[in-house]
Amino acid sequence: MLKLFSSKKPTPNKQPIVVVSGLPRSGTSMMMKMLAEGGLSTVTDAIRAADDDNPNGYFEFERVKQMTAGDRAWLDESGGKVVKVISALLEHLPAGYSYKVIFMEREIREVLASQKKMLDNRGEQNKVTDAEMEEQYRAHLAAVKPWLARQPNMDVLYVGYNAMMSDPEPYCHRIVEFLGLPLHFEKMLAVPNERLYRNRAS
Amino acid sequence: MKTVILGFDSFDPAIFESLAGRNLLPNLQKMMDAGGYSRLEVCSPPQTEVSWTCIATGTDPGGHGIFDFVLRDPASYIPYVSILPMKKTAVGETFIPPYTTKTFFEEAADMGYPATALWWPAMFPARPELPVNTLPGLGTPDIRGQLGVGTLLTTEDETKKKTAVTKLISTGSNRFTSTLSGPAVASKNGPQALTLPVILEAVDSQSARLQIGDVKLELKLGQWSDIFEIKFKAGLLANVHAITRVIVTDLGAAKRVYFLPLQIHPLHSTFHYASSPAFAKALWSKVGSYLTLGWPQDTTGLEENCISDDQFIALCDLIFERRKQIFYHLLADFKEGVLASIFDDLDRIQHMFHHNRRDVAEAWYKKLDEFVGEVAAKLGPKTRFLVMSDHGFSTFEYKVHLNRWLVEQGWLVLKDGKTEGDLSGVDWTKTKIYALGLNSLYLNVAGREGQGTVNASELESLLGEVQTRLLAWKGPDGRNVVSAGRLKHEIYNGPYSRLGPDLIVGYAAGYRASSETGLGKIPAELIEENHDHWGADHCIDKDVVPGVIFANRDLRDFGGISFRDVPFLAIGKHLDQSHIKPPSQVGPQGQKDLEERLKGLGYL
Repeated sequence: MLKLFSSKKPTPNKQPIVVVSGLPRSGTSMMMKMLAEGGLSTVTDAIRAADDDNPNGYFEFERVKQMTAGDRAWLDESGGKVVKVISALLEHLPAGYSYKVIFMEREIREVLASQKKMLDNRGEQNKVTDAEMEEQYRAHLAAVKPWLARQPNMDVLYVGYNAMMSDPEPYCHRIVEFLGLPLHFEKMLAVPNERLYRNRAS
Repeated sequence: MKTVILGFDSFDPAIFESLAGRNLLPNLQKMMDAGGYSRLEVCSPPQTEVSWTCIATGTDPGGHGIFDFVLRDPASYIPYVSILPMKKTAVGETFIPPYTTKTFFEEAADMGYPATALWWPAMFPARPELPVNTLPGLGTPDIRGQLGVGTLLTTEDETKKKTAVTKLISTGSNRFTSTLSGPAVASKNGPQALTLPVILEAVDSQSARLQIGDVKLELKLGQWSDIFEIKFKAGLLANVHAITRVIVTDLGAAKRVYFLPLQIHPLHSTFHYASSPAFAKALWSKVGSYLTLGWPQDTTGLEENCISDDQFIALCDLIFERRKQIFYHLLADFKEGVLASIFDDLDRIQHMFHHNRRDVAEAWYKKLDEFVGEVAAKLGPKTRFLVMSDHGFSTFEYKVHLNRWLVEQGWLVLKDGKTEGDLSGVDWTKTKIYALGLNSLYLNVAGREGQGTVNASELESLLGEVQTRLLAWKGPDGRNVVSAGRLKHEIYNGPYSRLGPDLIVGYAAGYRASSETGLGKIPAELIEENHDHWGADHCIDKDVVPGVIFANRDLRDFGGISFRDVPFLAIGKHLDQSHIKPPSQVGPQGQKDLEERLKGLGYL
């Protein structure tokens, strides 16, 4: 009887899961920070700590990588929270949940330059030329976007990193409107930081 | 869910883009400027009945079984109209639904929403078991159960290829009598046409009185009558009701009166015309009478000079206005679900005027744009609004007699040394390939066709050879006749694929199959110039005549939008997801490098 009159708040795992996506080094960490500052709970672990490539932290969740192996149970607790899922892993997000995807877009040459630096810092070899990698990224994005558009359980907002860095306020408005959540606008807006805008393509 | 769909049959993207470039279509431009425009990849072949069915079901013809306007019984080679199939019952022949594949209308209804489809092709006869309101479009027959030809009453000695012609006999004092033939009924002496007496009284050079049975009309020269009802007595207690319009086209020395085809009366139909009958009745009584023939814009009447260009255009205007009124009536009460309506006057206008009176066709683009603006103004912000077409348009300068080409290639042989004929005169023991319909080639496959000769081991090489020769074929103007020859197994999925043609002929711009080819005939000529009033068409290569889609949402990230995407755009749900490949499966080249890079960065 009591249940009939209790106020029913939506259980967190029924709310859309907010996903920040894009190519690596396209501004995904910065967007995660913006949303965290705005008040969203993040699905992260501390496995990859902040470093020179991301002084404010990576906001990653290692189990995202394990989705390809079928590890998806963590999504049950992720409703109403934000998680970073790079574009190559989006197709492994299971049906049965709804997602609000904020997809970061950045000049590919800046992405490549930033990736190159990160690879160097990690001591990784860069086996593919920039031109080849650019072509592959463009093909990848050309496949991801139409696929995203056709997912009935995914709403997508594309955010241009470069444009947002030059004028963040309208983008912050769009993000708040897109998510439909009571975010702290001013704290979100404070995040875009010129010190993060590195490796500008020459 | 609340979705409004306007289907503008044959709305061409190139013409739209040209007119939009001159700021002549402000309402559609507004949708385009907001990112809500794309060319629409249409099905193969881009025929109206095929295309709208593909759009409604989200599947290619292999998924619903309508491959062309004419199909064949493989056992007997006998052709039949695909959107008017019949079956024999204990009481005679009856129409059956052309397809039963689920549409997004049905899916919306299954989701608990009302759905209405107005003038959608291939929806006759109605399927009363489905919870979808329909007024059927293309494929709806006349009261004779045929695709409809009109009747010309004339004082002159005239004959027409298709139009029925009856003499007007003078009885003096500017009065003339004739008869109007209706449906045939069985009699002791075989089928007998029911008739009504007609009396024409020429009042002066501009007006006349016309009586058809008990119906009396006052007519002005050159102006269409309102839709009126007539009754043919079929027995003591039986009447056959029909509706039509009439026009007096000549009150000079010669007198001419032209009747549109006699059409099903929606309130007195022996067929399952609409779903539900109450739906059709409510529209008739609350909005007004409406023509029911699936092709009400009388292109045959125009082609055969029974009516003039202006009278044809006026008829199209009348049809459009009444359809708009019906649509607005339903829109006023539309709270949720799907409300979709096809407006197909542009298709008829373009068939007859695209090639030589482009101003007429362009005026219709503007008319439709205005309509879009009116509808958009009535919609709330949460209504999904889609405007789309089933194909574009192209010129039709040359008629291609494809069976003649097959004879010349040695693949089709006629019996008894004949050089012309039709499929009934084909020597099937020596024939490997035949053409039927406007875009269909069938191999005479052993074990499939009644007298098949092509073995399984030959299929691939024969299809390859046909493709090669078709694509090498040059027309009298030196251009390619065919720009694509698509194989069934490459483009069709679904349970009906086995019934479809083996090769779908995509004619190049300017070329189209002849009507004779459509009916399986084999004339003497190979290619003839088209001098018909019907000077433009779209039953060609689908890549030459894409359609359009407009939406009140951003379409820019969809990539190539096709007919397969329409159910998703309309109701948020795919009916067939086979075309959606995960990104990792699209163009696997370079995927390995991508993975290595992501691993190197620690993201995989």
